[in-house]
Amino acid sequence: MDMAIDSAPNGDASSSPAVPPATAAAAAAPPAPTTRLAQLAESLKLEYQFVRVPLEHLKKTMRTNYRLAEKEVAAVLSSVAEAVDRSDAMSRDDALTHLSSLVSRLQSLKRKLEEGSRVENLQAQRCRARLEHLDSVADADKFAEWKDVRLTRILVDYMLRMSYYDTAKKLAETSKIQELVDIDVFLEAKKVIDSLRNKEVAPALAWCAENKSRLKKSKSKLEFQLRLQEFIELVRADEKLRAVSYARKYLAPWAAAYTKELQHAMATLAFRHNTECSTYKDVFDSSQWDCLVEQFKQEFCRLFGMTNEPLLNIYLQAGLTALKTPLCYKEACRKEDPLSQEGFRKLAEPLPFSKLHHSKLVCYITKELMDHENPPLVLPNGYVYSTKALEEMAGKNEGKITCPRTGEVCSFTDLIKAYIS
Amino acid sequence: MDLDMIQDAFDRVAKKQKLSSSKIQELIDQVGREIEQATAKLQMTENATGCSDPKSILVDLKTKLNEIAPMKQLESLQKELNVGLGKYVKILEKCFNPDISRAYRNVDFDVNIVNQIIASHFYRQGLFDLGDCFISEANEPEAAALKSPFMEMYSILEAMRCRNLEPALSWASKQSERLMQNGSDLELKLHQLQFVEILQNGSRSEALNYARTYLTPFASVHKVEIQKLIACLLWAGRLHESPYADFMYPSHWERLAEEFMQQFCSLLGQSFQSPLSVAIAAGVQGLPTLLKLESVMAAKKQEWLAMKQLPVPVDLGREFQFHSIFVCPVLREQGSDENPPMLMPCGHVVSKQSIAKLSKSSTRAFKCPYCPQEASVAQCKLLHF
Repeated sequence: MDMAIDSAPNGDASSSPAVPPATAAAAAAPPAPTTRLAQLAESLKLEYQFVRVPLEHLKKTMRTNYRLAEKEVAAVLSSVAEAVDRSDAMSRDDALTHLSSLVSRLQSLKRKLEEGSRVENLQAQRCRARLEHLDSVADADKFAEWKDVRLTRILVDYMLRMSYYDTAKKLAETSKIQELVDIDVFLEAKKVIDSLRNKEVAPALAWCAENKSRLKKSKSKLEFQLRLQEFIELVRADEKLRAVSYARKYLAPWAAAYTKELQHAMATLAFRHNTECSTYKDVFDSSQWDCLVEQFKQEFCRLFGMTNEPLLNIYLQAGLTALKTPLCYKEACRKEDPLSQEGFRKLAEPLPFSKLHHSKLVCYITKELMDHENPPLVLPNGYVYSTKALEEMAGKNEGKITCPRTGEVCSFTDLIKAYIS
Repeated sequence: MDLDMIQDAFDRVAKKQKLSSSKIQELIDQVGREIEQATAKLQMTENATGCSDPKSILVDLKTKLNEIAPMKQLESLQKELNVGLGKYVKILEKCFNPDISRAYRNVDFDVNIVNQIIASHFYRQGLFDLGDCFISEANEPEAAALKSPFMEMYSILEAMRCRNLEPALSWASKQSERLMQNGSDLELKLHQLQFVEILQNGSRSEALNYARTYLTPFASVHKVEIQKLIACLLWAGRLHESPYADFMYPSHWERLAEEFMQQFCSLLGQSFQSPLSVAIAAGVQGLPTLLKLESVMAAKKQEWLAMKQLPVPVDLGREFQFHSIFVCPVLREQGSDENPPMLMPCGHVVSKQSIAKLSKSSTRAFKCPYCPQEASVAQCKLLHF
């Protein structure tokens, strides 16, 4: 459905000419409005990440602001209490300085919180903008544009997950959809990812500390693995004593949960980093750092309510599954089918074929569906075309029909209607 | 989906958030005021002797702050906010599908291929800077294969937008034969547009010359159109008053631009629409069904991952119907080269294997499963869709 408003290529509308609907498809009857709406509703249900991520971002800011307020107010209170305890030895001037320092401390807290709540408001605005964007799908006139934006959103998501930040930014800017994508969220992840690629653990550990309670709730292993890696680096540097004391401090608390891994790691103390013993060789391999990057990405995405895989992969896989038929792999496959192209065919290889319960026949000439309104007609040579196409051909050629595939000629009156259920 | 309800729910959360942050500010003010009052009292002791000493003022302050109990207040504000947020998250989880990757098969999606597809998509949309940026960032230099042909296409289109048909005409004359094989009369249409332009702006003789050179080669195949065009000569300069005024409609330019793009893509071995947008659009339509299927099959994860064909149909719109697929109504199987569709004399169509079964391996006449008419195998005809 909706081919009529779908055929304009998306993206750079300013430099490409306005493209009117494809003529062949425009002739196809528009679908009943109820199925269109039902289908739209189904497709909106897929947009969880779109509404959840900005909400998580907002929650994060709110948490930070709250913690700041909590920390500062508690500090002021305890400072007053402390002053009371020391008050016997305190001169009046001391007390005055002390109190005025507290007042300025509160003032600076207020300024920070004002800034924080400005950020909160912006983020709440973004949450609202997302909901409004989903709502605007109902505008049938702008649906083609909406679909283009959806594709762009999916592409930006892909770029961000693959760490192609420049392309992500550029794409969001050219399409003016900055509000609808989560570049700023991913830039937070970028810092950690970059540092892990440089074999630094500190920013990742700081991130873990920041999200401690939530990571604990989801039984995340990330912090343990980061600690493990730091331990291994100490062993690699032959700093065995430091390694042992590090393990006591940071690995021991995880011992109950990850006994095997811990034992495995501790055993490395008996080896050097250039060991040929295959069990321990892997532990020292630098690919462990790539694993950490992947793991961090997963945890990060989960905390923000994102899917594990890039959206592009999910939709592409679903689309190729739905489109995949044995006919796609034949030479005669039409170019309009993405599966006529080598790249898409390769991607679809491990996917199952789709299934049909009823025949779906497409006229070779008009590419339109042959159904009750446009039933298939059979030529004497067994080739089948739609009534519309053959009527038009007969009208132009005094009732003569020429089979476009075999060149055989017959009369319109020789045609037989086929009934296909 | 009830988006209004979700929006309302969010508004409630946002309101709570605003209220909470202004309450926190108030609380800080309150604490600040107490401290300032204590400060003022301390300062007063300077003048009025015999007043309370610093210690009692500080103790006083501590008691007052304890009465306000700011930590408790902060905590309860936070709690209230969290309850609101929790409710909203529940609503989102209920209204949306919280994990659309459930139906995802963990197969290796070759990153290079995906990147090539994306790069081609950018170039096809005319987003050349973006394509270049992507290719260098993703380090996929080979993915630029379609860049230069699409650049050619867009520069021809740009010229057409400025009413310059030269580049389009020179392309069409170079591709003349292949266009003809495609059954396209694009070249004629371009010449026709050019002819009308000359007729409007230039002299009659120039137009006549143009027609002689460029239109006559088409005369045998497109008799009627050429006749009409030549007749336009009579109305040079005032074509808009003629019966042929429709030759001047600006919509001809738009339509021709699209037809040009179609033919250009076709000769390039590409489809007119971006295959990536087609595949993604099909994914958006198909994914809800796949997710439902996955949840039904959740207990049989292995089966889900191993299946070679989906057990249920995924209904896609007719714009995704690229092939004629025949499903034998008797066997409920898709037709194939080995088991093609056959037409019975009554007009009903079933698969060859069904006919073999019905006719007991061609040994006898049989009755159509859908109507009372009898048929013999010899009367059945192989169909090609």
